[in-house]
Amino acid sequence: MNAVARAAKAVAGGIGVVWGAATLAFFALHLVPGDTADILMGTQALTSPQVHRRITAELGLDEPLWSQYLRFLGHLMHGDLGRSYQLRQPVWTLLGQNAWPTVSLGLAALVLALVVGTASAIATAGRRPAWRAAASAWELTAVSTPSFWLGILLLTVFSFRLHWFPVAGRNGITALVLPAGTLGLPLAGTIAQVVRESLETTLHQPFMTTARARGLGGMALRLRHALRHGASSLLTLTGLLFGSIVGGAVLVENVFGRPGLGSLTVSAVTNKDMPVVTGLVLVSATAFVLVSGVVALLQPRVDPRLRQRVSA
Amino acid sequence: MRYRNARRLAGLSLALGILATACSATASPTGEEATPVSGGTLTVALATQPGCMDSQVSQQGVTNTINRNVLDSLVSQDGSGGYHPWLAASWDISPDLTRYTFHLRHDVTFTDGTAFDAEAVKTNFARIVAPATRSQFAAGLLGPYAGTDVVDRYTVAVRFTKPFAPFLAAAATPNLGFYSPKALAERGGELCGGGPAAVGTGPFTFTSFGKGQGAVLTRNPAYRWAPATAAHPGPAYLDEIDFRFLPEESVRVGTLTSGQVDVALAVPPSNIATLRDTPSVRILQRDVPGSGYNLYLNTAIAPLDDQRVRNAVQRATDLDADVRTVFFGQYNRAWSPLSPSTVGYDKAAEHSWPFDPGMADHLLDSAGWTGRDGAGYRTRNGVRLTIDWPALPADYTTNGNATLAQAVQADLKQVGIELTRTPYDIGTYLRKIHAGQLAAADAGWSATDPDLLRLFFNSADDPAHGGQNVTRFDDPELDAWTSAAAATLDPARRSDLYRKVQARVLELGLVVPLYTPSTVVGTGSRVQGIGFDAAAQPAFFDAWVAG
Repeated sequence: MNAVARAAKAVAGGIGVVWGAATLAFFALHLVPGDTADILMGTQALTSPQVHRRITAELGLDEPLWSQYLRFLGHLMHGDLGRSYQLRQPVWTLLGQNAWPTVSLGLAALVLALVVGTASAIATAGRRPAWRAAASAWELTAVSTPSFWLGILLLTVFSFRLHWFPVAGRNGITALVLPAGTLGLPLAGTIAQVVRESLETTLHQPFMTTARARGLGGMALRLRHALRHGASSLLTLTGLLFGSIVGGAVLVENVFGRPGLGSLTVSAVTNKDMPVVTGLVLVSATAFVLVSGVVALLQPRVDPRLRQRVSA
Repeated sequence: MRYRNARRLAGLSLALGILATACSATASPTGEEATPVSGGTLTVALATQPGCMDSQVSQQGVTNTINRNVLDSLVSQDGSGGYHPWLAASWDISPDLTRYTFHLRHDVTFTDGTAFDAEAVKTNFARIVAPATRSQFAAGLLGPYAGTDVVDRYTVAVRFTKPFAPFLAAAATPNLGFYSPKALAERGGELCGGGPAAVGTGPFTFTSFGKGQGAVLTRNPAYRWAPATAAHPGPAYLDEIDFRFLPEESVRVGTLTSGQVDVALAVPPSNIATLRDTPSVRILQRDVPGSGYNLYLNTAIAPLDDQRVRNAVQRATDLDADVRTVFFGQYNRAWSPLSPSTVGYDKAAEHSWPFDPGMADHLLDSAGWTGRDGAGYRTRNGVRLTIDWPALPADYTTNGNATLAQAVQADLKQVGIELTRTPYDIGTYLRKIHAGQLAAADAGWSATDPDLLRLFFNSADDPAHGGQNVTRFDDPELDAWTSAAAATLDPARRSDLYRKVQARVLELGLVVPLYTPSTVVGTGSRVQGIGFDAAAQPAFFDAWVAG
């Protein structure tokens, strides 16, 4: 019973977060100054005031805000995200078309970040100061490099000069390498810093001395004992980094001319395309809630201390 | 007025066109493979992601760049303002310019197999003006549209409520191109999304389009109604055109120089000189006809209500140096509110208002702005001489334009004018411009007919009514001239009227023409035959790739 109640509570919390995000997005876009029909028609419109009024009425923008909000929520309950003002396609279609490129980019970047970051941390935690300083230096550089600049740098070297990877296009996995690197390297820097910190704390724990006394050493010690200990913070961090991936995809997709939710977001926000923006916010909020949920479920498996607390 | 001889003329120019191609093909000095070959895919990097892909709705240039290959028009316009048969074999225009009768070709079919006929013309024009279509641009091109009459299966008459001389220019644009009525009925709601829903009569079919993924066009093998302005008859040479969107300038240039794309559009001015020296790249450049890029001054807002202040702004701006510096010597400064490649451009405007800070000082002195404040700006009765030129948000302008504005700001400071640039979000900007509340507004507008001047300077065309006249200057002469020029097709009379308009708006200081933008296309060495249409948009019908 307890488990069911807890699950119900988690689901209700998740729905609350998604509803809050949708509401925020709805009102934030209405607070942005400017007439939606004006923006829709653009700076070079040749249209008359009649057309303007017609657009406003068709989009329901002449109704009071609270009734627009209720209508929006009503449609949402039925899973209807509406049609894009600008592209005039159903929002679900647009999200569907653009989801996979962003998901594959995000996953590739995440895997890269985890592998590179963890490897860097394991290799340098508790080592000589020079090693750690070198590792810290690259991590700090990676974290603080603007991703559009990193993208252009990677492109210039590996695509324009060395011709190893294409910029974009229908070239499958090779077209994913540079964007994933651009998105993943700064994350790898963050991961490495956090994981090393946690590894070093662990390496000084008394049970490490015990393990060493049993004859364990070097990599075995780090991988089997220290990393396992640090995995909990790594898991939490990964959940949080998911947000950075969604945000970073906007810039990376722009530089590489990749399709995806990021480039869709930019044009939707610029054009005040409310159905698309609210749809994107809903999808990202839902994904974030799901990822947090999965992280919360996995935590007790990684960290036995959490398991005990839950069953108590 | 009758244009019955159009068909004969077209035959002649078609022959000449073929001759010209043949000559240029054999005389090619570069030793490249000179005879066009069929086949191959052309990859094109575009700078902008199109929003809506429906040319009858959208106002975006990039939409036209793609759709021109899919949609044909009634007539075709050449670079010097001449009109040639396309889907219409010939046409008659009523003497009062209110009725245009088109005699259509009988052999044209849409790529879904249906015939192109008078009914198709009527259906498309009716769709454009229907309020439900929410057309942002094409409906404006139809001007005082009254209706379309199907005279017989292949004869169609388009009626207007007023004389409408610019109609042929409008009819030549992709915005008034034709979708298959069958496709419109079945999938008309999907046209904004591009792709197979868009069925035209053009040399290519629209195979796929994904937001952000690019557009793929495939050759229409049945195409045999190319306009006389094309360099070859029959189907296009290319099997496929693959448009990709690369908004980042350096990336677009890098993909071109590294051979990852065949063509890059919108080559940034900073790269043009380097690319000209790159052996594997060719640069094609064409000035955009239309209004160029200008600053319009609002005569209803002080201190610009004083003509002397407006003229001082013109004279104090060192455009030769500013435009050269900001655009790396690649664009020309402007002298007239029409760009030089536009029909009706008045060459006499050139050098008629040279940079003259001394004259600007004198004008401002005589207008009573004789005081100076601590910051060095002029004052009158304790009020600083300040002009606000609101800045468009970055998404709606270019870095170059913003930098040019800074240069103008520095120039005006030299004569004691403070130029401020209040940043507005796009919504506020548009609301203020529609209400006539912006003291100065910049705009660039591409068009092939000088009737554009009416849109910018006729008092009936204020922004609240869908026009572009932000000067709020009510001048009977400008109104009479621009209206009269829209009611005649006599080239001599039109150019005389437009010459007077250009001279008068410069004299009154309604506008500071800034520079002439040009379409700059970079192509790889295996690409041949890329041309420009009348609007200086790159044209791919004659393009082919070697080997």
